[in-house]
Amino acid sequence: MPVIHVRMDNRLIHGQILVSWNSAFKIQHIIVTNDVVAGDPLQVTLLKAVAPLTAKVSVLSIKDCVAYCNSPEAEKENIFILAKYPEDGLALVEGGLNMPQLNLGNQAFVRGSKKISDTVFLTESGVKALKKMHERGIRITCRMMPSDPDSDYWPTVQKTLPDWAQ
Amino acid sequence: MVGIVLVSHGSMAEGMMDAARMIVGSMESVVSVSLKESDAAEDLMARIETALLEVDQGDGVLILVDAFGASPFNASARVAMQRKNVEVITGMNLPMLLELAVQREGQDLGAVTQTALQAGTTSIRTLSQTLKGNSAAG
Repeated sequence: MPVIHVRMDNRLIHGQILVSWNSAFKIQHIIVTNDVVAGDPLQVTLLKAVAPLTAKVSVLSIKDCVAYCNSPEAEKENIFILAKYPEDGLALVEGGLNMPQLNLGNQAFVRGSKKISDTVFLTESGVKALKKMHERGIRITCRMMPSDPDSDYWPTVQKTLPDWAQ
Repeated sequence: MVGIVLVSHGSMAEGMMDAARMIVGSMESVVSVSLKESDAAEDLMARIETALLEVDQGDGVLILVDAFGASPFNASARVAMQRKNVEVITGMNLPMLLELAVQREGQDLGAVTQTALQAGTTSIRTLSQTLKGNSAAG
């Protein structure tokens, strides 16, 4: 399977990815996907500059990411997808990406968001996106590090933010 | 004088300043910024901007970060790339900061950056390497 992991992390490529996740998986290709980031030349330059020695980095729009991952070229790689928000994950799924699991990494506080833990704050629209993915049978997890358990995180979201999760 | 901003995960930057003060006393135009677990990249960038304004005397600012590619670096780089006269150096260590504390007066940003690079890299050595060097010289 070409896409080995899909992670929503506001910080995109940072220490946890470069050190912990990169050593746990044989990542060959990190695809950063978010339409705003892909349209910002400064962020694209910087993301490519921090690529680990062993993996290449692409910064693609959601649409281009799905197209690439469904292309024959992707079959030969171990791809690690990094997006910013749960809404990005839903857009990937609705665009036609086959993903059995979606992992939540750092989700910092943004206006209107509510706290689930020190590292995870979700907005109503984010929770709704997670719900849709959960209903499609995608397992939602929340692992900062590869060593964290990959237990089902949806019940935690439902319990903590019941008004938004119903 | 070139301003110095230290940016790190957790309290490393603050601890670095604390350690440096034990050796050289209080330092002019040096401030620290910490990344907390719940921070958004934009929060950290805003705090770095504030720190730059605090230490910039018009001669530019050198930002010392803990690790290349990690969030403190990423946020510092995004701020620096949008400004003139701001450089970022990674792998901050105590000898680097100490050298900057005593050797910044009258130097421009390019020279200060070279000082930091040199002090930071040449200070990393092992005991056995050092002893061997000494016996060869003696």
